[in-house]
Amino acid sequence: MLGRLVLARILDLALVLFGVSVIVFLMIRMIPGDAVAIMLGANAEVTPEAMAELRGRLGLDRPLVEQYLVWAGSALQGDLGSSVWTGRPVADEILLHLWPTLELTVLSLAIGAGLAVPVGCLMAQLRGRGADVAMRVGAIAGLTIPSFWLGIVMILLLAKLAPGFASLGYVPFSTDPIGNLQRMVLPTIALALPILANLSRLVRTAMLDALGQDYIRTARAKGAPERLVVYRHALRNALIPFVTSVGILTGYLLGGAIVVEQVFAIPGLGRLILGAIAERNYPLVQATILVVTLGFVLVNFMVDLLYGLIDPRVRG
Amino acid sequence: MGLKKLRTTMLAGGMSVLATGAVAQTLELATDLSPAGLDPHIATAFATHQVTTGLLYEGLTGVDQDLSIVPVLAESWSVSPDGLTYTFKLREGVTFHDGSAMDAEDVVASIERVQSQDIASPLASRVSAVESATAVDPRTVELKLKEPSAPLLSSLTSIAIVPSEAKADKEALQKAPVGTGPFRFQEWQPNGYLLLAGNEDYWQEGVPKVDALKFNFVPESATRQVGLVNGQYQMLPHLDAATALQLQGQPGVKLEETLDLAYILVGMNASKPPFDDPKVREAVNYAINRDDIVQAALFGAGVPAGPLSPALKQWALDVSEYPCYEHDPAKARALLEEAGVQMPVKVTMNVLPRQDIRDVAQVVQAQLNDAGFAVELNNQEQGQFVQDWRNSNFDMFASLNAGSVDPDEYFYRAFRTDGSTNVFKYSNPELDALLDKGRSTQDQAARKEIYDQVQRTLACSGPAAHIAYSRLATATRDEVQGYDILATRSLGTLADTSVGR
Repeated sequence: MLGRLVLARILDLALVLFGVSVIVFLMIRMIPGDAVAIMLGANAEVTPEAMAELRGRLGLDRPLVEQYLVWAGSALQGDLGSSVWTGRPVADEILLHLWPTLELTVLSLAIGAGLAVPVGCLMAQLRGRGADVAMRVGAIAGLTIPSFWLGIVMILLLAKLAPGFASLGYVPFSTDPIGNLQRMVLPTIALALPILANLSRLVRTAMLDALGQDYIRTARAKGAPERLVVYRHALRNALIPFVTSVGILTGYLLGGAIVVEQVFAIPGLGRLILGAIAERNYPLVQATILVVTLGFVLVNFMVDLLYGLIDPRVRG
Repeated sequence: MGLKKLRTTMLAGGMSVLATGAVAQTLELATDLSPAGLDPHIATAFATHQVTTGLLYEGLTGVDQDLSIVPVLAESWSVSPDGLTYTFKLREGVTFHDGSAMDAEDVVASIERVQSQDIASPLASRVSAVESATAVDPRTVELKLKEPSAPLLSSLTSIAIVPSEAKADKEALQKAPVGTGPFRFQEWQPNGYLLLAGNEDYWQEGVPKVDALKFNFVPESATRQVGLVNGQYQMLPHLDAATALQLQGQPGVKLEETLDLAYILVGMNASKPPFDDPKVREAVNYAINRDDIVQAALFGAGVPAGPLSPALKQWALDVSEYPCYEHDPAKARALLEEAGVQMPVKVTMNVLPRQDIRDVAQVVQAQLNDAGFAVELNNQEQGQFVQDWRNSNFDMFASLNAGSVDPDEYFYRAFRTDGSTNVFKYSNPELDALLDKGRSTQDQAARKEIYDQVQRTLACSGPAAHIAYSRLATATRDEVQGYDILATRSLGTLADTSVGR
């Protein structure tokens, strides 16, 4: 059964990647403005010959279908091409920008989702009481406060409270572990807070739903302690929507939390994509978005597998 | 152990003070402009210029604080009486960052590299007058020109000298630049930072004064400002007026200011109605109130602009010399009536996507609409703006253009018939003759007279209404010393900058 699931998912994956590759390929070419003119920059004295040369070098003078096939063909062979300007392989560029994003994703998810389960359960247990209402208001606030605003306010506050604390930019963990974690604190909070708000509300609703089920009444009737009822019997059922949401959130975070990366000056995937679009670095945009899509699909695939672990019925 | 280590470090620091006269330190800068590549002949965008010119690379000549041409890698030069042969004597003891000596072959290779079709350098037109470059001996380079070119020495300031091995290579220098400058390339994390280390073998004694420069690429303006105030960054170079205003008076922060060489302009398309009529262009100048624009859009941090920046002291005429700079909407209307165009004159103005330019455009729109125009603003995406600009697909545009040190460099390409950036499609035979004469005249006083005339011609009925030169500011922490801001936006003076207590 699991084998068939995996096979079906791999087929889906191939389809999604093909679709995304076509859409990205067309979309970036539909952005107004002659790409070659932009690559060469304003203000410079650019001769028509220079433009023609670059156009030819990038293959932009050939028909769209041919361009796509050439690109897709080499991508299938593992060659994602190289950046228009630096000539650096696109794969290297992506790898370089992947680590900050990955680190930020893991940290903010671990904290946001990790806290959401106990907080959500607590809210469900305290349903209707003052504390529940207060937490729900807090969650709404967490959802509605834009993370860039939160980010800037936190930077300002920290600058006042601890002026020497280096909170901006990024240093690799391998070269300076403390400096790395120091700089991760604020962006992690800025990302984790909305995740916590979102997921704790979800857990609360799912828990309330589960707690109303017959099997819970049975568990209570047979004298199981409340902790056990909540965390073993109810939670397991409530986890399905939670896991789905975590999967989707991971996908988004992998795409680079662009706004947070901008505010905290973190060189992650979001900034890579943004910069590449601005300079119409076609190979870089195409490959980066493809890789992000791959990550998104893979995470959701894992989520599907997790369903099987949580809910035996999925295993069929 | 911690304390002991600290003490050892301090001791080492003290030793290096004795040894080099400077404290071991990294100067942290923050800028939003992440360069796309570091080859000075290929990547010519401002983001690259800022981190390379005068830091990693140097030319035969350079520009000093007063915007005069000074010798850099060339120690001296002589010009033949007919103005067709330039002979440069190269400085002795200059080495590239890879350790090899810089000689005449490298200079020849660099010039030929910029001229080469294959490299397709946007700087090619700067050396288009050069017919041949020859290495006479290892320290002597001779340039033969097709025609006399008075701005050659100024043009050469922007031609970086690179090792001759790079001549046909389009990729190596983009990733790992090798120059002769006071700093050498160390590490580049795209979108993250660029780290330059002090060049111990630099030809000039006692510089650079800091051990390293770190350019942090920080896209968010608010983040850069906080970083400067809390001390994580020590310098924010080349700020616009609004940002400078916000940083003014912050504790521990000081501002270095100069007038910008870059100019804000409103360009007009002289190839089609209504701006094909000089009277309509003159009307625009009468309708615009430059003082009000400076106040309203630049927060007072700037000056009304003539065709040349007052930073170019030896060339620029005072704006009081231009009659059309007197704000007079009635006169503007009269001119429009004379021109026989239907009022209100309906035109569209493309606007460069920058906050200061958008603000200027709005004020200009209001002023023109008061004087018989009906201007519609078209706020464009950068790419679209550039494309329309290049294809002369506009009635009017509002933009910011980089300035040049020699008047010929700006005027000839922008306003001569078929000039390489004459997007206005302006053609004026009298002006063409003046520009040709200015290019071939060697005598400074005679050139000055020619360019006075050029400025007068362009100011009122030219295809560009020059609006303002902004005040350009660099914000630094108090402990940063010895930095001078340059109107060319080169950061070359960082070599003389130190970070003290």
